[in-house]
Amino acid sequence: MKSFATYQRLNTYIAILIFLLGSIAFYGVLQYVLLRQLDDSLKAEKQEISDYVQKYHQLPVIQNTKHQWVIIDSNAHTFANQKFRTIKLYNTIEQEMQEVRQLSFALAINNQQYFVQVNKSQAETEDLLQLIAILAFSMIALLLVLNYFVNRKLVNKLFKPFQKTISAIQAYKIGQKAPLQLPESSLAEMHLLNTSLNEMSQRIYVEYRSLKSFTENAAHEMQTPLAVMRSLIESIIQQNNLNEQGLNQLTTIDDNIQKLIKLHQSLLLLAKIENNQFQLNETVAINEIIIAKCEEKNSFIETKSLLLKLELNEVNLLFHRQLTDMLVNNMINNAIRYTPVNGEITIQLNKNELIICNTASAGSLDAEQVFKRFYKPQQQQEGTGLGLAIVNEICRLANWPIRYEFQNNKHCFIVQFFQKVS
Amino acid sequence: MKLLIIEDEVNLNTTIASFLTAAGYLCETVSNFKDAIEKIDLYEYDCIILDIMLPDGSGLELLRYLKLNKKNDGVIIISAKDSLDDKLTGLQLGADDYLTKPFHLPELAMRVAAIIRRKKMDGHNVINIDEWLYIDTIAQRVTIHNAAIELTQKEYQLLLFFVVNKNRILSKSAIAQHLWGDDMDLADHYDFIYTHIKNLRKKILSAGGEDCIRSIYGAGYKFQVN
Repeated sequence: MKSFATYQRLNTYIAILIFLLGSIAFYGVLQYVLLRQLDDSLKAEKQEISDYVQKYHQLPVIQNTKHQWVIIDSNAHTFANQKFRTIKLYNTIEQEMQEVRQLSFALAINNQQYFVQVNKSQAETEDLLQLIAILAFSMIALLLVLNYFVNRKLVNKLFKPFQKTISAIQAYKIGQKAPLQLPESSLAEMHLLNTSLNEMSQRIYVEYRSLKSFTENAAHEMQTPLAVMRSLIESIIQQNNLNEQGLNQLTTIDDNIQKLIKLHQSLLLLAKIENNQFQLNETVAINEIIIAKCEEKNSFIETKSLLLKLELNEVNLLFHRQLTDMLVNNMINNAIRYTPVNGEITIQLNKNELIICNTASAGSLDAEQVFKRFYKPQQQQEGTGLGLAIVNEICRLANWPIRYEFQNNKHCFIVQFFQKVS
Repeated sequence: MKLLIIEDEVNLNTTIASFLTAAGYLCETVSNFKDAIEKIDLYEYDCIILDIMLPDGSGLELLRYLKLNKKNDGVIIISAKDSLDDKLTGLQLGADDYLTKPFHLPELAMRVAAIIRRKKMDGHNVINIDEWLYIDTIAQRVTIHNAAIELTQKEYQLLLFFVVNKNRILSKSAIAQHLWGDDMDLADHYDFIYTHIKNLRKKILSAGGEDCIRSIYGAGYKFQVN
């Protein structure tokens, strides 16, 4: 509702400003008109008095009211000019200070100069003005309040399909089996948004599918030529007419084919993990996997005279068996490969974390780079450089943060089982 | 021993056939589904080497056909797809083994031999090398001049691999792949194979056996018998 709130605030400010300016102008105009009216009636009074004097040559008897009274002074020593003015006076009849409009003029009856002052209270005018002002202000207030509620209700209603679209986008995952299907909307803008998003997701989906089938096809199509190459090399090796150098070259080719196969399988696996092509709903006893892996690799451990220390608790995780297997396998393989002869490997497992440490042959690894693809420290050329990248991807998929630490001349890889502990 | 190789990639088909022919099998080759059905209808094979992806049909369909017609031929699937689903489907449909491309030819020979041994449960599960070396593949027992010798699991696997591929040059890569599978990388740069071969050779010699394991410089090893 942020944009709506901004709009609403601005709207309110502008409305108040306009109404304020309008009210001031209205007040001014109204006051001017009412004053003119007052002056007109004062003039009319003057005219009446003058007419009477002219006709009867004597002063009229004037009945004063609480809003209008006439003062006639025979000692007309002051001015004789006709003049309007507004003064504050104490009204004896109403017993309060009031604004009074005065018209003073001179009058001659039988050569006697009179000074006449017609007074008219402005109280009525002011009352009227006050009433109008109150009315205007309450109208503004009412309008603003109504405007606020109506807008809010309306905008809420208008925003509902927008909210729906947002939550549909948030819930959508690219690996899903179908493109995004947002509902039709009767609102033109929402309709445009939804159809554009649908079209975009359709395009992305198609591209994603073709990319996926490309990886799958590439996998298949690459295996066959590799298989042909390998089988041909093996056939040639069997022939008895080759010298040592020739055989050496052939086995080197075969070794490189092997590297290519491994690389290719690893990249394919990474792609599969990234595409979320695994169902993560198996209960996996990770401690059992670790024990099985250690037994499997025992001959390597023995040959390098490594000391293997296991501290395992029983831990069951809700994940994918094959992937957990691969995770453990790659981590242990790495440890075996990079531990110097007579070194030590420790594997600790509890329900919170898995820690695999091994004696380092050189210094610390680059903790930033170590999980990146094709990272190979120093002159170590064995391996594809993808083992830890795969470990990292599997951990990312499982939502298990993994980190590298260098402690007491040991490389430690720590996997935290944040979630899904069953 | 009659084999049928069903593989549409001609180069692969020919090299497999020539390798297995040299190993003493009688090989017939076809490169499509239609021809394969024809051959299967006409003859009986000890083992069929079957590619899943054929231009005019699926190898899995062929497996169903075999099952439906109650054929007892052994089948090993060779597929470029390293997919667990395909593997399980294939094995469920009656295939005996599954090998992912690219594979080493000695490995294929090994798997074929194992299938054939399993199919013939009439005493042929003992391999006899020149009357001095006997390997009972069911009991996994090795006797030299009628005396049993103790071998570790890896040494036994190595010996069987050699014996099945006798007189063939086995590259270190093929041996490592056979013994350690995906862990062969670990074996790579510590001379694991050498250690195992040295031990095996020592055991054979001390039991009075012949020195048949030859190191072929630049290539690998060979189990040489007459």
